[in-house]
Amino acid sequence: MVKQEQKESSDRPDNTAFTQQRLPAWQPILSAGIVIPGFVLIGLAFIGVGVGLFITSQNIQVLELDYTGADTANPCYECGRQSTKNCVCTMEFSLSTLFKGPVFFYYGLTNYFQNQRRYGVSKDDTQLFGDLDAIKSPTSDCAPFDYDGNNRSIVPCGALANSIFNDTFKLYVKTNNTGKREVPLDGKGIAWWTDYNVKHRNPDVTPLKDAFKGNTVKPINWPKPVYELDTTDEYNNGFINQDFLVWMRRAALPDFRKLYRRITADEYHDGLPAGNYSLEITYNYPVLTFNGRKKVVLSNVSWMGGKNDFLGIAYLVVGSLCIVMSIVMLIVYAKFKFPEED
Amino acid sequence: AFVRSVMISCYTSLVLFFIPWAAMHDTVRDDGKDIADYQSFALLTQTCLLIVVSAQVRSRRHHRLWNGNMAQIQFSGRVPPLIICTARNSLNQPNVWLTMFLTCLLCVIPLVAFRFLLIQLRPTITDKVRRNLQINRKEDFLSPAPRRPPARRISTRRSSYAFSHSKGYGDLVTSRKFLRLKRRPSLFTRKNSALVENQPQLYRTITEEAEETQNVDALRD
Repeated sequence: MVKQEQKESSDRPDNTAFTQQRLPAWQPILSAGIVIPGFVLIGLAFIGVGVGLFITSQNIQVLELDYTGADTANPCYECGRQSTKNCVCTMEFSLSTLFKGPVFFYYGLTNYFQNQRRYGVSKDDTQLFGDLDAIKSPTSDCAPFDYDGNNRSIVPCGALANSIFNDTFKLYVKTNNTGKREVPLDGKGIAWWTDYNVKHRNPDVTPLKDAFKGNTVKPINWPKPVYELDTTDEYNNGFINQDFLVWMRRAALPDFRKLYRRITADEYHDGLPAGNYSLEITYNYPVLTFNGRKKVVLSNVSWMGGKNDFLGIAYLVVGSLCIVMSIVMLIVYAKFKFPEED
Repeated sequence: AFVRSVMISCYTSLVLFFIPWAAMHDTVRDDGKDIADYQSFALLTQTCLLIVVSAQVRSRRHHRLWNGNMAQIQFSGRVPPLIICTARNSLNQPNVWLTMFLTCLLCVIPLVAFRFLLIQLRPTITDKVRRNLQINRKEDFLSPAPRRPPARRISTRRSSYAFSHSKGYGDLVTSRKFLRLKRRPSLFTRKNSALVENQPQLYRTITEEAEETQNVDALRD
């Protein structure tokens, strides 16, 4: 008996508040005086916020132009059917009112699953950080886009980089005398600051080309190697190219849009004036094979971001539900309290 | 009770996923850059989940919800340290905070409402006692009338056995409201039988409790 007791004492947990479950606990006591006014307050606050969000969202202007060329009426139908590189097609559109600035120019893809797991992990972050060893021998996550047929390493490796979006756009505003003037598009600072400054780095070699000497090769679908992405600006070349960064930030949903350019020139400081415009598209990216769609989206933004009616409506609905619930609870409380007081 | 837990979990999971999904669908940051990317979405959903689970655990004191909480913390541990970058980019958006706030409240408020309604419509014994304690405390503040204590002392002593295992009675016992050694014959006679008529019996205002305790006494006899 004594031995058993000794065994038990060695298994016994310590006599602390945590192990003996003596921690102070707090449980809210739901009294009517707190719950019902609380619900009313929450309901009113939510309705107020919901109204603000909804009005803000309604004031955001969005213009979408689908240029996949899926049907014959679309100007880009011919380009969609062929598979020649750099096919050019033009879409016309007009604005009836001033499109308030700053105007953001996005390209959107539909039915495109950037969030597919094998596709999404197919990249080498060390390579993108400028590590010279990783450039020579990329990680196996990138397979089969890590080495080409001649056993040369692909830089940047992986399916994600290989499938970069390669359509380009030019926007023209039509002037009165059947001429057109190009609208300058600004491509600086379209990617996240942290992506540009922290996550991606160029190898510390000048000229940049020398870092890729030897047994490296560009990805299969790229027209130019990574150190020639933007030869005019060294801060936009290599792994820190803004378009490349925007593409590498994987989208969460199959319908997404990515920032392409901004319209911030002085002349368009207030926005795009009403008038006729034409959009010249260099059609490269094939999406019809998997029933995807491509589109161009022009949008302005507000304090809550882009146009999204959902949050405003959700807040309004939840606010009204709270008020309804508080009325129900008040009725229940009134009915069931008074008989007891007699 | 199991079905109820399952239903609550289903509802919470649906809310926790679909509200961030709908809020992020086709939207961007307030400077035009992307926000609907994979890591931001995951961050938003996980933060909502952690807050909701903590709130639910705290409000219901149920330890089984800890399993879900631990699982989620493990999943967040697997995300690489670059979550700092994502957090930095998305957590300065009022859009994101509003979505989180909406999700958490939408998960917590129905539970609070149900509990309140249950307390009103089908109060358990603990709820009744807690309410009476509250009323006692309020009345002690307002009117310390001398004629009140005898009645209360009698009935609480009568019910102390039945409810001694519930929360709240520890306070009552240690508050020294009964078991006082005062030489009042009425007290001692009350302890033995419910049918002593030396003193007029003063009942408490809650009739349901009186009936229940009378039944208990009858069974004991």
